[in-house]
Order: sequence, then C-alpha cells, then structure tokens
Amino acid sequence: MNRSIDRRAFLGATIAATVCGPAHGQSVFRLGLTPVFLDNDAAVIDGLRRALSRGMAREIELVQRRTYQEITGMLLERSVDGAWLCGYPYLQHADTLQLVTVPIWRGGPLYQSYLIVGAEDAATELADLRGGTHAFSDPDSNSGYLVTATDLRRRGERPETFFSRSIFTYGHRNVVRAVADGLVQSGSVDGYVWEALAQIEPELTANTRVIGKSEWLGFPPICARRDGFASEPVQALRAALLEMNTTDEGQQALSALQLDGFADAPAALFDGIAARMRDLEQ
Amino acid sequence: MPTLTRLPLSLKLPLLAAAMMVLVGAVASQQVLRALARVQDERVQELAQMHVEGLSVALGPLVLRRDIWEVYDTLDRASQSSEGRRMILTAVADEAGRVLAATDPRRVPVDSSIADFAGSADGLDALSVSRAKPILRLIAPLDYQGRTVGQIVSELDVSDLLSERREALILLILGNALAIGVLALAGYLAIRKMLGPVSVLARQMTETKGEPHPIATTEIPKGDGELARLARIYNTMVGAVAAKAEAERRLAERERFVALGRLSSSLAHEINNPLGGLLNVTDTIRNFPDRPDVVRQSADLLDRGLRHLRDVTRATLDLNRVDAEGRHLRSADFDDLKLLIQPETSRRTQDLDWSVCLPDDGAVPFAAGPIRQISLNLLLNAAAAAGYGGRVGLKAETQDRSLTIEISDTGEGMPRAALDRLLTDEPLNPGGGVGLRLVRELTLSLGGRIVHERADGQTRVTVTIRQEQGAFHAQG
Repeated sequence: MNRSIDRRAFLGATIAATVCGPAHGQSVFRLGLTPVFLDNDAAVIDGLRRALSRGMAREIELVQRRTYQEITGMLLERSVDGAWLCGYPYLQHADTLQLVTVPIWRGGPLYQSYLIVGAEDAATELADLRGGTHAFSDPDSNSGYLVTATDLRRRGERPETFFSRSIFTYGHRNVVRAVADGLVQSGSVDGYVWEALAQIEPELTANTRVIGKSEWLGFPPICARRDGFASEPVQALRAALLEMNTTDEGQQALSALQLDGFADAPAALFDGIAARMRDLEQ
Repeated sequence: MPTLTRLPLSLKLPLLAAAMMVLVGAVASQQVLRALARVQDERVQELAQMHVEGLSVALGPLVLRRDIWEVYDTLDRASQSSEGRRMILTAVADEAGRVLAATDPRRVPVDSSIADFAGSADGLDALSVSRAKPILRLIAPLDYQGRTVGQIVSELDVSDLLSERREALILLILGNALAIGVLALAGYLAIRKMLGPVSVLARQMTETKGEPHPIATTEIPKGDGELARLARIYNTMVGAVAAKAEAERRLAERERFVALGRLSSSLAHEINNPLGGLLNVTDTIRNFPDRPDVVRQSADLLDRGLRHLRDVTRATLDLNRVDAEGRHLRSADFDDLKLLIQPETSRRTQDLDWSVCLPDDGAVPFAAGPIRQISLNLLLNAAAAAGYGGRVGLKAETQDRSLTIEISDTGEGMPRAALDRLLTDEPLNPGGGVGLRLVRELTLSLGGRIVHERADGQTRVTVTIRQEQGAFHAQG
C-alpha cells in the first residue's frame, strides 16, 4: 500500500514537474536553516533545496544565517516560512512555534550531545575540564550549549567560571575543528554532527575524542509559526519532508545528510530538553 | 713567494691572469648575490606587508569583538592560501598583547602573552633574508579604522629563498671556476706559445754550459716582432762571442810566438857571442895544431861553448814542446826559465834574483807547461818593466801543498790597463797584448789566485796554486 502511494506520489510529482515545471504559479517558500553539519557544503544544501522544490512543486529558498537566534528571529517575524531549528529555541518559543516534522536518524528522532576533547588530552569526564578552554556551538543550541551548561549547573558550576575561557564557534563542525586544532581543550557538539563528520571527514574527528554523551534528546525539528501551520505552503513542506525518502532526489538529499527521513514529532519528544531548560533557569 | 718567483714566466703569467679573473669573478659574484639579497628582501617585505594589511582588514572587526573563533577561522583559511604557505605561523593579539588566536594554537595558546612568542621579531622595514636564518619573525601592529587594535606576529619560512641564494652562489662559483679554468688554460697556452721563443732563448743561454748556441732558424718566430728581433740579435751576439773567443785564442797563440820573438833576439845574441869565441877557438886550433896544450885548452873551450849552445836550444825547444803541459813540474823547468830570461836581463844590464826551493824528489805534482808559461810571461813583463839597470826577481817554493811563485821588479809599477788584464775579466782594450790575461786565465784554470802588491819601489806579483788543483790538471 505504501509502495503504491509512494509510486503515485512520485508519478504525481513527476507529472507536475513535467507539465507545470517547478515553481510555476507558486510563491517562493523560504526555509531557514540553522548551521547544520554540512552547512558549508553547497552540494548538500543544493540537494536538499532541489528535493524540497520537487516535493513541494515550488521554488525553495534556503536561508542561512550565522546564529540560531537570527534564524529563530526570522521565523518569528515571518521572514521565513519555516525553519530547521534546534529543540532548545523551539521550546523557548513553543507558544508561537509548532513542530512540522522531526528528522529520523539511525531509526529514531533522537540524538545526543557529545563532550569532546583533543585526541591526546588526558581528560575523561567533564570534571577534568575545569580551568580549561571550551568551545560551544551556539548559545541557543541544545547539544552545543544547553546540555553542558545544565550539566555544570547540576554540579553547581557555571560555564563562565568553570572554564578559563569559553567561546562560541556558531557551528558544530567549527567546534570539532576548534578542538581538533587545539584552539580549545574541549567542546560541546551535536552527536549527530560528530558521527556524520566521522563518516565524511574522519581525519578531522580522529583528532578528537568523545569523553561524554548526554541522554537521548529530541532531534532538531522543522518548525513553523503556529499561526501559519495550517497554511498550504507549510503543509506542502510537511508532506514533502515526510515523503522525501520516496524520491530519488529526496533519498540523495537524505543520504547526503545521513538521515533516514522525516516523521511527525510527538510533543513529548523534547521533554528532556525542557527538563534541562528548567534546570538552567533555576 | 720565493716559489712563485721561481716559476717560469709561461706559468706565472696565466696564473696571474687567473688570479685576476678570480678576483673579478668574486667581486661580480658578490654584486650578484647582493642584488639577489636586495630583491629577496624587497619581495619578503612586500609579501609581509600584504599579509599584514590583508589580515588587518579581515581581522579588524573580529579583534575588536574579541571573536576568538572567527579570528582563528580567518587565520586558518588565510594560511591555506598560496601566500599563506610562506607564513608558517601567525598569531593575533588584542591591544593588551593577549593572544586571541594563532594558526597553531598549541604553540601559541589563546590568552598567552604575544610578547613571549614575538621575542626578537623584526618590524616590517627591518625584515631581511640576509641573515642565515631559515625562519624570520615579523611583528606588526593591527590597524583598523585608523587605530591600532592589536598586534600580528608571523613566522615566515624563507628557507626556499636561502636555498635559492645558495644555489645562485654554487652556480656562480661553478660558472666562475669553469670560466676561469678555461680562460686560464687558454691564456696559459697562448702565453706559452707567445713566450716560446723566450724559453728557447733562455734554454740556449743557460743549458749550454757557458757556451751559448744560436737559436735554430726554425725556432725563430716569423715576421718582425720583438721576439723575432730578439732571437736574431741573440744569434748575432752568439756569433760575435764565438768570433771573439776565436780571436782571443788566436791572440794567445800569437802571444806565445811574440814571446818567442822577443826571446829570439836575445837567443841570437846568446848564440852569436859564443859563436865568435868558438870560431876564434877553431882558428887557434887550426893555427896551433902542433901545440897539444893549446889544442886541449881550445877543445875544452869549444866543448863548454857547444854545451851552452845545446842548453839554450833545449830550453827553447822545451818551452814550445806540446807535451810539456802533460808532465809534472821540476826544478829544471825553472833552470830553463832562468836560461831563457837571462839574455833578456843581461841585455838590459839587470840584476836577476833567483830563488827556487822545490822538493828534491824531482817532479812536483803541478802541471809544468802552464806554470812555465805563467812564469815566463811574468818574467818578461817584469824585465820590460824594470828597465835598464833594474832588478828582476823570481822566488818559487812549495809550502803546505801549494806552490807559490813570486815575480818582482823595480820598475815604475804596472799601469791600470795591465792590472785589469791581470786581475779582472774586463774586456781587453785593443793593442794591449794578451800576455797578462793569459797568465790570469791559466792561473784560474789551475784553480790558483793572483795577488799584486806594490811596496818599497817594488812590484810583486804572487801566483799561488793549490797542489790538488794543480795535480788534477797536471794529470788531466
């Protein structure tokens, strides 16, 4: 059944693409992207854009900014129609934002935050990193900031005092680079990004070592404004994402992103992050 | 240096030319290397300036924000560029000198003091590759929007420039050595060819045992160059020397006959006097054949007269006998000399002091011929010098294996020209005779020496001959 639907969807998309051509008669859909692991790889971004464009039968503009905050802000002020955010900013604005879909990675919509050090570093746990330098990804990143910050808070510490210096690199790959190159002693990084880099840039991750992994937490979701969720473009996005693994282009894009696909996200998926947020605010 | 002066001209000149070429090559090489160093310095300074200016533009706002990651990321990307490869390490610090980031964070950690890394870094203008350091360190202010917001310290790898300079040096040395070698060889061959006639001339003059030989016509350079003229003049000189030697030999020969000629009148007188007496004796015998006492007395007179004539004749023959030079000296040789000189002294009514003291064993190991000739020439000279009524003396003795013959006279003394002939090798003046020069040459050939002194109105010429030399020549 699924196969026939897939085939039908595929054929429909193909016919639509052939008869109408992409993006005819539709306004451009603007999708914001937080710095994903391959945000520096134009081919991956372009693959994703083409797959979505084909799936949504319209032009897709992928909007990238340096920080999570910028993308979240753009979504909130409707500069973009949807955005691939992190669970942390989503929860920060849960009253305004709504989940569209969540990526499936290694069979589930979950990922971990990794605490990494240089390959030669003797540290084995967070406590060993006291007085060292640390790289966070983004102050609005769950895996790249919130997890380590809450771990420290739970120990009665604060990043500003626990580390001699902490920096933000505004990119998970940059965190890995900063640690691998010795710019900082340790870093907080998205576990999915680290694992994906281990596949495509093993020489980079080989210079780092994971000394801590968080509990499994909700994977960074695709969000839209709550008030625009029911709109046709957002629903088209949702459908295109959910059916991305049914097209060649979609599979190529997913393969490049090392994802299995997209699925509807239960609200409870981000309870873990919510719990950490509460701990941090205490 | 003495070794150099002993070198032949055909080697010395090419060596000199090669040395000059080495000097010129060294100076030229030095100039080339200096120019290369200047170009490299300018290149490095220009590159460093571009590097600093580029980083200042890119990093200015990041340094102001203290954005460590962005500073690092920018430096890291800059170091990947081709220009960045010369910059092996760059560190950027804030105004306070605290490191924000470096391309090698392990060497220059974040928050460390830039001064510790900068050390003795040079400013842009002082950057120079001329020091033998493969890595230069540069320090420059990071200016942004008209003010200094930080510092940049970079390490520049200039090992390739130093290798370039070394290669240039090696190429220059090899090139110069090759050029100098080729030119020196060519110079050597050319100069050797040019100086060939001079070498031939030197060989002809030095390797012919005091008897210069003319240069063969085939060895005289063609044309009318200096060397050709020199060779021809040399040949003319050799001819003149040979002619002169021949003339001297003939003159010496003539002198011997001159001496004989001078003797012949005395001899004629010596023979003529007794002949008159002898003829009287024969008349007496013819007139008084019946008086045995008269005949006997006349026969005795006749015998003495004839013996005297025989002695005179023998002495004259001995003087001219060729084999006289081959035998040893005897006392009798001086008796002969006395016999020969007596008529000369008698004619001038001169007194003759004669003292010969030789060993009794007969032959003395000195060559008879030359010594007789020496003595006779000196005696004739003394007799001529002493004048009428003068005194002539001869004293011959052997002592300490040497023979001394002293000839003295009471004349006015020997004139300058005569002394030159006897005591020096100066050329003979025309018309002076060669008797005294013959004395000198014979004495020297026997290894002897001649001393002249003038004292108490007497002229004394002493000839001393060592026995070994005299004996050697006598046996030879």
